[in-house]
Amino acid sequence: MLLEATNVSKAFGNFLAVAGADLSVDDGEIIGLIGPNGAGKSTFFNCVAGETTPTAGRIVFAGQDVTRASPEAHARAGIGRTFQVPATFEDMSVIHNVMVGAFLRHPDRHDARDQARRIVELTGLRADQPARSLGTPGRKRLEIARVLAAEPKLMLLDESLAGLTPTELRQAIALVRRIHEMGVTIVIVEHIMEVIMTLTKRVLVFNQGHVIASGTPEEVVKEEAVIEAYLGRRHRRQDGNG
Amino acid sequence: MTRFLTPRLAVALLAGALLLYPVALPGAFYRDIGVTFLLAAISASAWNIVGGYAGQVSVGHSMFFGLGAYAPLLLYNLWGWPPIAGIPFGILLAVGLALAIGIPTFRLSGHYFSMATIAVAELIRISAGTWDLVGAAIGLQGPATARGWWDLTFRSELPYYYGFLAVLGILLAITAAIEGRRFGYYLRAIKTSERAARSLGVPARLTKMKALALSAAFTSVAGSLYVVKTGFIDPDSGFGILVSVQMVIVAALGGAGTLFGPLVGALILVPLQTATNTWFGGGGSGLTYILYGGIIVLIARFEPGGLFDLWHRLAPRLWKRGHAA
Repeated sequence: MLLEATNVSKAFGNFLAVAGADLSVDDGEIIGLIGPNGAGKSTFFNCVAGETTPTAGRIVFAGQDVTRASPEAHARAGIGRTFQVPATFEDMSVIHNVMVGAFLRHPDRHDARDQARRIVELTGLRADQPARSLGTPGRKRLEIARVLAAEPKLMLLDESLAGLTPTELRQAIALVRRIHEMGVTIVIVEHIMEVIMTLTKRVLVFNQGHVIASGTPEEVVKEEAVIEAYLGRRHRRQDGNG
Repeated sequence: MTRFLTPRLAVALLAGALLLYPVALPGAFYRDIGVTFLLAAISASAWNIVGGYAGQVSVGHSMFFGLGAYAPLLLYNLWGWPPIAGIPFGILLAVGLALAIGIPTFRLSGHYFSMATIAVAELIRISAGTWDLVGAAIGLQGPATARGWWDLTFRSELPYYYGFLAVLGILLAITAAIEGRRFGYYLRAIKTSERAARSLGVPARLTKMKALALSAAFTSVAGSLYVVKTGFIDPDSGFGILVSVQMVIVAALGGAGTLFGPLVGALILVPLQTATNTWFGGGGSGLTYILYGGIIVLIARFEPGGLFDLWHRLAPRLWKRGHAA
């Protein structure tokens, strides 16, 4: 077991954003988290990435309790994450952005540059391009590259494929597959069902802070509670027609 | 940079110009401007490490400058030690203070950090003004006549000029070395997004602490150099808010977070200050505030990246236009 989050809750005052969520991730899996906006996916994600400390529960990663560890300790342990709104280092070029990630395992600048070059090539970015000149798809790709340069065991992708054109989406799915083939375990939060159905083998559905369903993508899309809370009746009609 | 003016050639030309300046303009007035320019450039370059590269805008850096200025004269007044012996003592005090204030204040960010640094600097200024050991409101005086070279009291401006130039050279060399290494990358990453930097394993608080300690050490040296030159310090000229504001403005005017930005800023601001002082004399003392305020408004409105950034954008276009004509 690579990651085990047990009974994780997060409250903001009286509001319970995540209520006793469980997640177990085996080495080499791709898991999807879906649910309506405000369901608690991102808060749960932030708990797993160390950005938010859970109010209750326990998170164990690679045998190490990381429940109250800092984001940088999570990164050192091997958890990498992207952000829903890309947070690239605007004043730096693409390669310099990626080098910041590479420095985690390669403190020497020459080694970090070599590592960053390999990753930039893999992700199809232009090394010398200023980060501020990239559009949203480029920024999302750069975030993935930056995390990959830190050589994570587990990658948390927070809507990294949202807002892409169909062609960009196909390329992004291919990139995630390539990263997975490199041995990186992936947890992905996504609204685009095509991504979930194509990439994941197991899905957790969040609603109002609770995990309301889990299973294979084919199983969960048929569950009444999921259709009611997230997919909507239109999906049921399409499913019936198909 | 244009094709002919490579970075290496530009640095060589700048070094040559600074080395030859006192020879080319030998008058005491020009040499005094040169020394003032170097002091402003050293202070702003020291501030630049934490304020420019890491984006932690301290408006209370006078606390480190003041400690560096008071330390040599305090040791001289207490035990007759030469002021040069107080320089390491000032560095120790400044680094100690940086660590003491860095631990609580680096939990704050943005304006809150700036406000906290102003508060600490003002607290120290007011305390120094009432503490007899450091001369209270009157301040401290250095040796009136030199007992030997070690008192660093010279009639000519030349030894000060070249001494200050050497310190500036060392500071710029260290900053350039930081720029290309992991520490420099981490500082720039923290400046843009501390959240993203931490998610990539950057130990943000430790990195900021190191930057503040290094910045404090060199700001303290600037304070020591100031007092070695003037032979006198009081709470306002050591810990006053104008001392801090000048560092911020010099760096921001030239380009905060760039190696030579503070030099460019000092090159413009010091002659400008000298001109206003010459034209208006003591009656124009409030003019400094107006000048600083005006510059802050202009930088914030038109060139947040400073003049160095503007040059980087314009130089290639000017070169192309020159060659097309």
